[in-house]
Amino acid sequence: MISRRVLEVSTAALTGSFGLAVAVSSIENGIGWSTAGVDSGTFPFLAGVIIVLGSLYNFGRGALTGAAVVVSRSDLRRIAALFVPAAIFIGVIPAIGMYLASAGYMFGVLALPKHQSLLRSLIIAALTPVALYVVFERLFLVTLPHGALAAALGF
Amino acid sequence: MENIDLLLHGFTIAITLPHLALMVIGVLLGILVGVLPGLGAPNGVSLLLPLTFGMQPVSAIILLSSMYWGALFGGSVTSILFNIPGEPSSVATTFDGYPMARDGRPTTALATAFGSAAFGALVGVILITFLASWVAKVALAFGPAEYFAVYFLAFASFVGMGGAPPAKTIVALAIGFAIAAIGIDTVSGSVRLTMGIDELVKGVNFVVAVMGLFGIGELLIAVEEEFHARAVSSKIEWREVFRALGRLPWHGVALLRSAAIGCWMGITPGGPTAASFMSYGIAKRFSSRGKHFGTGEVEGVIAPETADHAAGTSALLPMLSLGIPGSATAAVMMGGLMIWGLNPGPMLFIDQKDFVWGLIASMYVGNIVAVVLVLLTVPVFAALMRIPFVIIAPLIVIICAVGAYSVSNSYLDVILMLGFGVVGYLFKKLSYPLAPLVLAIVIGDKAEDAFRQSMLMSKGSLGIFFANRLVTSLVVGGVALLLLPLVLQVVRMLRGTAPDQAKPEEMRIT
Repeated sequence: MISRRVLEVSTAALTGSFGLAVAVSSIENGIGWSTAGVDSGTFPFLAGVIIVLGSLYNFGRGALTGAAVVVSRSDLRRIAALFVPAAIFIGVIPAIGMYLASAGYMFGVLALPKHQSLLRSLIIAALTPVALYVVFERLFLVTLPHGALAAALGF
Repeated sequence: MENIDLLLHGFTIAITLPHLALMVIGVLLGILVGVLPGLGAPNGVSLLLPLTFGMQPVSAIILLSSMYWGALFGGSVTSILFNIPGEPSSVATTFDGYPMARDGRPTTALATAFGSAAFGALVGVILITFLASWVAKVALAFGPAEYFAVYFLAFASFVGMGGAPPAKTIVALAIGFAIAAIGIDTVSGSVRLTMGIDELVKGVNFVVAVMGLFGIGELLIAVEEEFHARAVSSKIEWREVFRALGRLPWHGVALLRSAAIGCWMGITPGGPTAASFMSYGIAKRFSSRGKHFGTGEVEGVIAPETADHAAGTSALLPMLSLGIPGSATAAVMMGGLMIWGLNPGPMLFIDQKDFVWGLIASMYVGNIVAVVLVLLTVPVFAALMRIPFVIIAPLIVIICAVGAYSVSNSYLDVILMLGFGVVGYLFKKLSYPLAPLVLAIVIGDKAEDAFRQSMLMSKGSLGIFFANRLVTSLVVGGVALLLLPLVLQVVRMLRGTAPDQAKPEEMRIT
């Protein structure tokens, strides 16, 4: 459904606007030479300009490439099936915390499209946060976000 | 010889029970991330970083580098048995490795791959043993201008020899530089490029970028390709292992040539992926059986595997002696070195002799451990591939989210990681190279500091980059590499042939 041309052009537009933002924002830091040496905005400004120039070139090249489909409709569906739940999972972490979010995510991904039986999905979903807790909070001593819900309940 | 003495001293550090145990753990974890598509050596090493903060630096680097060897071997296992490259650098191994396995010679294919991989790694380590301290000695005389020139040369060689479209490489590099500049400027103390988000003052850690670019990005590519794990038999026949290893010396020329290509691509930051493709291509052209390549030819396995491991190993040489990593994974390890309070570069060879020679000695031992372990565990990890991808994929997403969060306990990093995932997918899809992006994030600051210090020394004159023979030749070499793609295009135009379109296998070079 998405042609190589569209993908090339939109990626170049994405990198180009990032470059523009970088260049504009570094002007505030000062560019060029002052008594203190090279101003702190110079390097990022140059990087920004190079990104913009390179993106313009890629944009031009991209616009000339063929319209062959590189991401078909079914590809897109599979990508969305992976990405959308992942984005939701990351989106709800501040509210319900890493543990509940990861359990819900595993369960949702496995049980809802009926990839796995309900029981198996439940077991995997329950084991995931337990494994996270043991490995990270116990072994690595990294506290994972418990979320606003846990805070409200007093954990 | 002094190096040999130091190396022997290194062995007394590497061959201790705790360090051997770390090697086994590292190699096994490495094979695991190597086997799983979507998790690779850069991710695996980043994930392990927080675990190493409390360790001695030499133990930490032994763990991380062993993981790297494990991942390099693990990637080949799935390439051969399932036709699924677990690592980008083992894509070329699928061309002849999988046909061999499919035609009933899985043991031959695996043993040949591991044998030539070990040979490639050995050549890489020997090179490091004899060359690294010499390079470091030369580099000790470097001032900021020379350092900047070396960085410049490294970046330029990505553009000139990386294999990806030059304009895309330049964009990827510059984006890396911009990301490295986010946060507090180390020289002036002013805050840069936070775009109004206060939390960005702490900067963007390379681990966050690696998790997204290589983890989520690779996963999106993998799910799109919708592979099916059709396993061929994964039983290992030990007699055939030794027979295949015994036949390796007959392919001595191919082994040596591939190792040379690998070492060259590893030291100049071409990286293992480019090395394995290049070596396969050259072997196909020069082998007397070149026509049969792609149908299960032994040399078609030897060439990419030897080069892959030679490049992966020798990528540590510039990291240790100059502070410039030769591959994405080496860049992550170098980030680790800085976190442990070590300063990668020539001073390591003077201040941290135990660290350097312990690491080099561990590379000899670690690769032997890796070959043995990978042969013993092939059936176990092959069974792992039968776990449905629908279970593995969300697990990898969770691991990446936790990994990004654990860097500095920041939720913003998790969101950035997801953003990097989208970028990683687009970049991979359109053959923008990822390694220079990561490299620029890790050493962008250092390159900038070197430039600004040399400008201070010269009071703003660019003449300092042409002040002596060494720095001039480095700069001229860098400019030549930058111009190389342009020159090649002009030559091609003069000859009247159209510039060839990206070949399908080039699409996957990172």
